[in-house]
Amino acid sequence: MTETATPGAGTDETFVPSLATRGLTKSFGGVRAIDGADVTFHKGRINALIGPNGSGKTTFFNCVTGMIKPDAGTVTLEGRDITAKPPHRIAAAGIGRSFQLCRIFPRLTVLENMLVGVRSPSVLHRLAGSRNDADIEKARELLRRVGIDHLEQSEARDISYGQQKLLELAGVLMVDPETIMLDEPAGGVNPALIGRIGTLVRELNAEGRTFVIVEHNMDMVMSLSDHVVVFDRGRPIAEGPPSVVQHDPRVLEAYLGV
Amino acid sequence: MRSASDTTSRSTFDRVLLGARVVALAVVAVLVLTFPSTASDPFILSVGVVIASYAALAVSWNFVGGFTGYISLGHAAYSGLGGYATALFITRADLDPWVALFVGALVVAVLAVPIGIASLRVRGASFVIVSIALVLILLLVAQSWASLTGGAQGLRVPRPFGEDVLRPEQHERFFFIHVAFISVALLLWWAIDRSRFGMGLKAIREDEDKAQALGVPTGAYKLTVFVISAFMTATAGGLYALWFGYLDPIFQFSILIGSYMVLMSLLGGIRSLFGPVLGAVVVGYSLEFFKVHYGDSQFHLVALGLLLALVVLFMPDGVLPAIGSLVERFRPDKRTSIREMTAEELLEHNERVETARAGDAPPRERDLATVPSNQEER
Amino acid sequence: MSGSLLLQTLILGILLGGLYALLAAGLTLYFGVMRVVMIAHSAFLILAAYLAWFFHRETGLDPLLSLVVTVPLFFGVGYLMQRGLISRLRPATLTMMSVLLTFAIALTIEGLLGFFFSGTQRRINLGYSGSSIEILGAHIAVVKLIAFGLAAAALIGLFVLLKVTRFGQALRATIQHPEAARLLGINTDRIAGFGFGLGLATAAIGGTALALDSTIYPSLHWHWIGPLMAIIVVGGLGSIPGAAIAALLLGVGQSLLQIPMGTTWAQTVFYVALFATLLVRPQGFFGGRLAQRF
Repeated sequence: MTETATPGAGTDETFVPSLATRGLTKSFGGVRAIDGADVTFHKGRINALIGPNGSGKTTFFNCVTGMIKPDAGTVTLEGRDITAKPPHRIAAAGIGRSFQLCRIFPRLTVLENMLVGVRSPSVLHRLAGSRNDADIEKARELLRRVGIDHLEQSEARDISYGQQKLLELAGVLMVDPETIMLDEPAGGVNPALIGRIGTLVRELNAEGRTFVIVEHNMDMVMSLSDHVVVFDRGRPIAEGPPSVVQHDPRVLEAYLGV
Repeated sequence: MRSASDTTSRSTFDRVLLGARVVALAVVAVLVLTFPSTASDPFILSVGVVIASYAALAVSWNFVGGFTGYISLGHAAYSGLGGYATALFITRADLDPWVALFVGALVVAVLAVPIGIASLRVRGASFVIVSIALVLILLLVAQSWASLTGGAQGLRVPRPFGEDVLRPEQHERFFFIHVAFISVALLLWWAIDRSRFGMGLKAIREDEDKAQALGVPTGAYKLTVFVISAFMTATAGGLYALWFGYLDPIFQFSILIGSYMVLMSLLGGIRSLFGPVLGAVVVGYSLEFFKVHYGDSQFHLVALGLLLALVVLFMPDGVLPAIGSLVERFRPDKRTSIREMTAEELLEHNERVETARAGDAPPRERDLATVPSNQEER
Repeated sequence: MSGSLLLQTLILGILLGGLYALLAAGLTLYFGVMRVVMIAHSAFLILAAYLAWFFHRETGLDPLLSLVVTVPLFFGVGYLMQRGLISRLRPATLTMMSVLLTFAIALTIEGLLGFFFSGTQRRINLGYSGSSIEILGAHIAVVKLIAFGLAAAALIGLFVLLKVTRFGQALRATIQHPEAARLLGINTDRIAGFGFGLGLATAAIGGTALALDSTIYPSLHWHWIGPLMAIIVVGGLGSIPGAAIAALLLGVGQSLLQIPMGTTWAQTVFYVALFATLLVRPQGFFGGRLAQRF
């Protein structure tokens, strides 16, 4: 159901697939969290993954990013198979992710949090000092971009939750990800910050980065995304531009149980 | 940003701090190097060697504990193995004692690879359980395999220095050897601490899943530092074997010794360079003190238990970091969080934000909880 | 191996497994309510054994009667320990720090036991210590049967408590989902304390059972904590039935291996099982949905 957008579904008939899954399945005990999910995200666009609670979105996320091994199915990135690869290989493949309950390194400083993501091409590089000017400058640039550069020396556990969210986002950017997956970026933050994050996402998307965002905040999803996938009971039930998906009866049924 | 005077006063503080650290280090170095000459009798000297041995073990343990946060209570497995390996390479393979020490430690490091692969698959308390299980099983094996280890009878280790070298002289030599080992170990710890490898390890300690998601190859990193730690611990164990001259399974594969390593590092400061050394000096001295004054009674266990409990409950970060934060309180003009901005500074800051927004630069909203923002247009 | 020897070994293994099962159940309780790995569990076990021995030595009465005192005492101590010490630990590093804290408690207990009772090995000698019953050619010591009976009774009691009573229900709810339990009005802090007390109570019973038949000394607890830890990992952390199954299997395994390999080597069966579990299925084999992984 997800090879290409169905005719009349909207403006994005032509797209380049970036992240895609085929028949992805994962069960926990007797519960099928993901049930043969076929999903294709569009490269260079802002993709959103929505669905009622318990529809399997976060499990889907974790399977794609290597945190959980799927029982069956494949995950590909522009055709390259990345199924069940360990998370650090997924990161090396150019996929960065954030976590649902914002995760940062509590006892490291904000700057150190950033330096973790520096990519190392060789063993020698790993043995070299972590505080070299190039890396620090890059980190500072990203911190400036999200607006928390003045907190550089603070321990990450001492800054506010909103600031931690921004730190997490900046940290993900350190790995130069071509594809960025955000798990509920608007969760638990005030409207001003939601707006700020939305702007950042748009800016980064304009630079060519693909986004896959799991989100409950419908305003954000509808205004931000180009392509929406709706999950229910472990599989996608509708797909397309926000305006179309919004009115799809299957989506309404999934959310309202109507 | 910061005014010129802020920058100057800040670096003055830093310079003073650096100076104080250098002086302290110099003083400690002098004290350590002159210790053998100032020791009043050979017994004191031997206590010094014991404490130095504890310090060597604690520093070696801290490669895993401090960097990755994985607490190994059974690390005596590696010092025990190092001791026996050294002894056996001397007695069975006729190797020169110092070569035997090195080769023994190398063998233990190789063994640590499969052990590490198995143990590091689990985290947290499971890892602790596994480490305990390891040392307990080695204890069983060492006690039972009498033909190899001498079983409960123990194993004699030939002295590396000739018979004509007197005891006090032996103590002094081993004291300096231990100090040299500790210095090398600390240097290695420092090098790892400032490297990207170390950065990755610390990320693992703080949030292993997150570190993975950022591209840190956690499995390889953990195993590497684990093997390094095993090598160092085995060397420390081998040094002890060479000095003490006698190995007994119960003391070599002792959970108690393992707990000393943990306590010393925790007490001194598990994430600091000199923490384990400080902890070793404090705890080691106390242990010897109790043994002298309370002899065979198990009272030192009670003291150890209570001390560990107190450290865990009230000072889990250790002494050195506590001193560190105390010193930081005196730092002038700290600008660590928005909470400390005065009203004037806040106004100043808002103005800067407005001017930036007027230009092409993207708006930089510092702290959206306090700075009035204009709602972003969707 | 002769049939009767095999039968005897099997039965002994089951009897031993029963005792392991009770102790492992206690250990699981601490983990279930608070994610705490209670290394001091076996130290309390030995403490209870010493108290039973002391009671017998001072009063001449059957050591089993000491249960009247030790069970409520240990329950109280467990409750206080959880409320007063464990709950003080920071949630972020709770599991790790609780290991160290309970380790410290174990050391303290061992030290105190050595201090008060000295390191001399102790043994209880009762009228029925030497007698044994014959079942189909197998000679089973009466004390072992009593120990098993005690352990089995305690396990059944525990089972009934957990499944039938309202307290047990609250305890299970707290173990499975503390937040939901709180929303239902359950005082999870107090329940956690009771869970701890219950765990220590099982140590009291197990220790008394142990005292009937074993030689005890202060550092004996190290011989027990290893196997018990292995059992709960193999069984699946957080699952009492899983721990019981693993306990029985490993108890029988240990018993059977004693014949060809001797007592010391037979103990390695626990550690081999532990490492095998970690390599193959780190979340344990018998825990099912309840099993956790660190």
